[in-house]
Amino acid sequence: MMATTIYVPCDTTARSLGADAVAARLTRAAERLGVDIQLKRNGSRGLFWLEPLVEVETATGRVAYGPVAPTDVDALVDAGLFEGRQEHDLALGDIEAHPYLARQQRLTFSRIGLTDPLSLEDYTARQGFAGLKQALALTPQGIVDEVKTSGLRGRGGAAFPTGIKWQTVHDTPAAQKYIVCNADEGDSGTFADRLVMECDPFMLIEGMTIAGLAVGATQGYIYLRSEYPLAQAMLDEAIVRAEAAGYLGDNILDSGHAFHLEVRLGAGAYICGEETSLLESLEGKRGLVRAKPPLPAIEGLFGQPTVVNNVLSLAAVPLFSTRAARPTPTTAWASPAAPWRCSWPATSPVAGWSSWPSAPPCAS
Amino acid sequence: MSHPTPQPADTALAAQLQAVIDQHAARPGAMLPLLHAIQAQHGYIPDAAVPMIAEALRHTRAEVHGIISFYHHFRTHPPGRHVIQVCRAEACQAVGARALEAHVKSALGVDYHETTADREFTLEPVYCLGNCACGPSLRVDDEIHGRMDAAGFDRLTAQLSATVVEVK
Amino acid sequence: MLQYFEPDASHAAQFARDLGTPARFSETQVALSIDGHSISVPEGTSVLRAAALAGITIPKLCASDNLEAFGSCRLCAVEIEGRRGLPASCTTPVTEGMAVITQNARLAKLRRNVMELYISDHPLDCLTCPANGDCELQDMAGAVGLREVRYGFDGANHLDAETDASNPYFSFDPSKCIVCSRCVRACNEVQGTFALTIEGRGFDSKVAAGQNEPFMDSECVSCGACVQACPTSTLMEKSVIEQGVPEHSVVTTCAYCGVGCSFEAQMKGDQLVRMVPYKGGDANHGHSCVKGRFAFGYATHKDRIKEPMIRDAIDQPWRAVSWEEAIGFAARRLREIQTQYGRESVGGITSSRCTNEETYLVQKLIRAAFGNNNTDTCARVCHSPTGYGLKTTLGESAGTQTFDSVMQADTILVIGANPTDAHPVFASQMKRRLRQGATLIVADPRRIDLLKTPHGGKSLHLPLKPGTNVALVNALAHVVVTEGLEDHDFIARRCEGDAYQQWRAFISEPRNAPEALEAETGVPAAKVREAARAYATAGNGAIYYGLGVTEHSQGSTMVMGIANLAMATGNIGREGVGVNPLRGQNNVQGSCDMGSFPHELPGYQHVADPAVREKFEAVWHTPLDDEPGLRIPNMFDAAIAGTFKALYVQGEDIAQSDPNPARGVGPARAGLPDRAGHLPQRDRQVRPRAAARRHLPREERHLHQRRAPHQPRAQGDAAGGRKGGLGGHPGPGQRPGLPDALHPSVRDHGRDRQPHADLHRGQLRQAGKTRQYPVAVQRRLPRRHADHALAGLPHRQGALRDH
Repeated sequence: MMATTIYVPCDTTARSLGADAVAARLTRAAERLGVDIQLKRNGSRGLFWLEPLVEVETATGRVAYGPVAPTDVDALVDAGLFEGRQEHDLALGDIEAHPYLARQQRLTFSRIGLTDPLSLEDYTARQGFAGLKQALALTPQGIVDEVKTSGLRGRGGAAFPTGIKWQTVHDTPAAQKYIVCNADEGDSGTFADRLVMECDPFMLIEGMTIAGLAVGATQGYIYLRSEYPLAQAMLDEAIVRAEAAGYLGDNILDSGHAFHLEVRLGAGAYICGEETSLLESLEGKRGLVRAKPPLPAIEGLFGQPTVVNNVLSLAAVPLFSTRAARPTPTTAWASPAAPWRCSWPATSPVAGWSSWPSAPPCAS
Repeated sequence: MSHPTPQPADTALAAQLQAVIDQHAARPGAMLPLLHAIQAQHGYIPDAAVPMIAEALRHTRAEVHGIISFYHHFRTHPPGRHVIQVCRAEACQAVGARALEAHVKSALGVDYHETTADREFTLEPVYCLGNCACGPSLRVDDEIHGRMDAAGFDRLTAQLSATVVEVK
Repeated sequence: MLQYFEPDASHAAQFARDLGTPARFSETQVALSIDGHSISVPEGTSVLRAAALAGITIPKLCASDNLEAFGSCRLCAVEIEGRRGLPASCTTPVTEGMAVITQNARLAKLRRNVMELYISDHPLDCLTCPANGDCELQDMAGAVGLREVRYGFDGANHLDAETDASNPYFSFDPSKCIVCSRCVRACNEVQGTFALTIEGRGFDSKVAAGQNEPFMDSECVSCGACVQACPTSTLMEKSVIEQGVPEHSVVTTCAYCGVGCSFEAQMKGDQLVRMVPYKGGDANHGHSCVKGRFAFGYATHKDRIKEPMIRDAIDQPWRAVSWEEAIGFAARRLREIQTQYGRESVGGITSSRCTNEETYLVQKLIRAAFGNNNTDTCARVCHSPTGYGLKTTLGESAGTQTFDSVMQADTILVIGANPTDAHPVFASQMKRRLRQGATLIVADPRRIDLLKTPHGGKSLHLPLKPGTNVALVNALAHVVVTEGLEDHDFIARRCEGDAYQQWRAFISEPRNAPEALEAETGVPAAKVREAARAYATAGNGAIYYGLGVTEHSQGSTMVMGIANLAMATGNIGREGVGVNPLRGQNNVQGSCDMGSFPHELPGYQHVADPAVREKFEAVWHTPLDDEPGLRIPNMFDAAIAGTFKALYVQGEDIAQSDPNPARGVGPARAGLPDRAGHLPQRDRQVRPRAAARRHLPREERHLHQRRAPHQPRAQGDAAGGRKGGLGGHPGPGQRPGLPDALHPSVRDHGRDRQPHADLHRGQLRQAGKTRQYPVAVQRRLPRRHADHALAGLPHRQGALRDH
């Protein structure tokens, strides 16, 4: 008999509510009952009021239970959790059919909650690295053009056209250029970046790699706030695995192109979320803002041309860097020609980059 | 008023520090990774590390001091066995962080940046742990705890300070 | 009547205003309008500076034109047509067609609000504050029309912060600090010491020295740049705290070292209150070291002689007398001595601390009134090898660059010098260049502080054994010629072909390879090769050297070796390169130019030349001696021998600065009667600066008709023009002051230098004539390096007369 796959989320919030203890109890219960289970730590779907949200793989799909406290586990198991039975009060049924999820079109968050964040197998099974492979077939200018055409705008809040920023870095000659990911997500109530980094780190790696190819940068840094220890652990491990698999390093997928990536930890300075003070901090200085001009795209990290993009912007890149990978807009999108021009601030962590039919389109 | 001039590290400490410094000094923008590594090793940045870092990175002591003091994550005094950080950011405040904060201070008998007399806990403020949907949040070492309240905190500290007795 | 250099009103006014941000240099001019006035400024200029240049004053606190814009105080906010918000004019560069408004109701409100916040955390003790009347914060409060502080003064503040009085020259009172960071930036950008920082952030921000230590325990070198930068009384000279704010100032030149910094001596009446480096000074651009700024106790020191004193004999006490009596006494005694012992029995010594006018007059006194050429200068004992070596090789006995040239150097080779200690203000400029990424090579047994320059670029230390300079420079040259690093184009155009080839053949010999000389110099060959490559391929390679080169028995040879290395690599004749001696005093060049040496009248015109003498005789109305006179050591020899009896000394302390003081002081006590009296020197520090302009009596100006000695010769990109820079040099064509000339034991080695005789005129092709005089002494090089130097830098002695 095949092992039953049980999902227990592993992101900060689920863990802060006891997900690790839930996972441990499920394992013990399975041992006690002699049930063969495969416990998988997935990312969170973002339905935090239901965390820890335990899911069970059944013949008809994943069924969910939540919020599951560690002390609920035995009762849930007794009520047939391992078989996917839906008798317990915490049973939620087909989670995909949950009204909150059902009305979303998830793009950058399409894998989040479904996969093991550190599984390359899970990632590639769901379009992972497709964008990178397609980008490798393009010229750097070709990639920049694609990003421009997509209408992707900076998702850190300022909504500056990403392609134009990249074009500046692309056009500025330098021996060394950098891709810097602003992961200093400091505003209270805002944790979409954390969710991406903890639940789908390869997506960010892929986006940064594509950005590196586009502008000619061979080194990337993720400037991560020190308040996110789990994101750091996840990213570090993901980078190690991506390198081992040839997605990062001196010769990405045998293309002859190099891209190296490193996580750099902030140290408790809110101001470092501002891009120029972030660069100062990366250089090892007090995080004081720099005057602009010069723009970081021209004189950025260590004085070199630098792309500084937010986590969500870079995470969106694999979807938008090639026409082939770009998802078909639903009817909800305001403008079929440039659907991604409509960008909500990243303050909606649950929905992430999603289509909200009721939301008005943003002015471009 | 200014502190007295810091004393140099004793030999053993200096050797430990130098090993970490040598490991990181050549990295581009090595300062923060180096400070993190030293704090990971010692729990804080000893004063005696400052001239050594300055020397290795061609900075001055003043600059290193300025950098360390800019970043609130870095401590300049040894912490207790556990560091407890209470989130004081808006989302947590909106769901009772201030009450939690008051309880924590009185339960531990210390204010922020202080360490309990038994050197078990050091209390620090933190501004957002990204757990805003499930606050109030606090962080103990690298673990984050959500929906924390006074009772939850008391349970937590009781677990943390429970002495492990080895049974022969 | 003599005129002194006194910066005129327009010169002083040019530097009196702070233009807010540093100058930018660009070929592109940008036109904009500010408050309706059109102005055109170089691209990259800030709006703040453009406004100041247009005569429009924008309030500011954190900006200063010797510091890069910081944009923290927000007082300099302006409105720019078509732009959102109120950008800080200090950090906003001008753009073509920009229309700027510096004053309107909106800006006034913003500025008042900013000031209100500053003042809400500032003690209201203006009347008793030492900066009262000299406080930018006070000025700005007035400028923005601050009338009230709505926040009250009961909130959190820093008013109880304690004063750090540890520094003997200035105090640090953080209760008055507005945390504008000017002190920190001055320490970093101007001085390059990085001793200060801002501790903490936000409301907790405060200026800290070192690791929040007393200033005196920190890395602070007390240069005072922070004090000068402070817009409040937070960092304040103790002299001002004690005496109050000065009311007038005199521009003068510092006499402490060879940099020659200009200062404003700020006074109350005739009391010196503080020394503030003058921004108009070419050598220091408004910066100073601790000595120039704070060590002015000499002005009122009890040892200072303020009235003429005479005595008849060394065993008698000094008597204070009138000027008339003192001068009469001195003149009478000198004449009596000459009558009794002969015309040659008296002489005089000038100093490189003297102004051009003083030096000129002393040598004129000796030549025209004493009737002999027994005049010499203290430059004799420090950089004579520079004079001889550079004259021989480059054709001029002067350093080739101004200090500012270092800002264009890509590799800086420092040999036998310790600029941070000995030429600190120039060292600060050098460190700035090193922070910009220039490579540093130090050839010195000491690991000098320059090698530890905070944020410096690549550096290489060649810790040679003392006494192996020539071996090292030959090894460097060997790498250049054997690794194809010569600048063939330069050599073909500028060097004497045969001579160059001879030098080249010698230097290429395996015995000059770094490997062969490794044991000798103690410097690993690989390092020597790396250094040679770095210097030769830098783009602009500049050499700076000091007494570690010249005060050696092979000093002249080493100077020639240095010049040859520079020529072989084409590192001569433009900004950013050159051969640059770091001198000991502030007017070495001038004292030599003015004819201090026994064999040369002003302008390096030889006394043996009848045409030259005729010219001077016509103006001075007296016949001149055609024999070169005594050099300093010769004077002592002659005194011991009993033929030299009286000495007129101006601004020179023989016992302190001449070699073998027993020889100097001994004769003074034994041979010289010491009866000439002691005339007080006017204070060099408050004396107007003369080196910059030569104001000679009108009728004597034409005597300098020979081209100015430091001007390039006809083809002359070789020696380059220099202005205000690197001290001076002893006279050319002569080497009597070589240290080994002091040792009679070496004088009888008249080796044949003939095989290389052609080279001594130098490898630079000179348009001018090379004067030749009978050779009386050949010089024996130290045996160790004689061969290198001989073959590599052969010289036939010229212009030398031995006594």
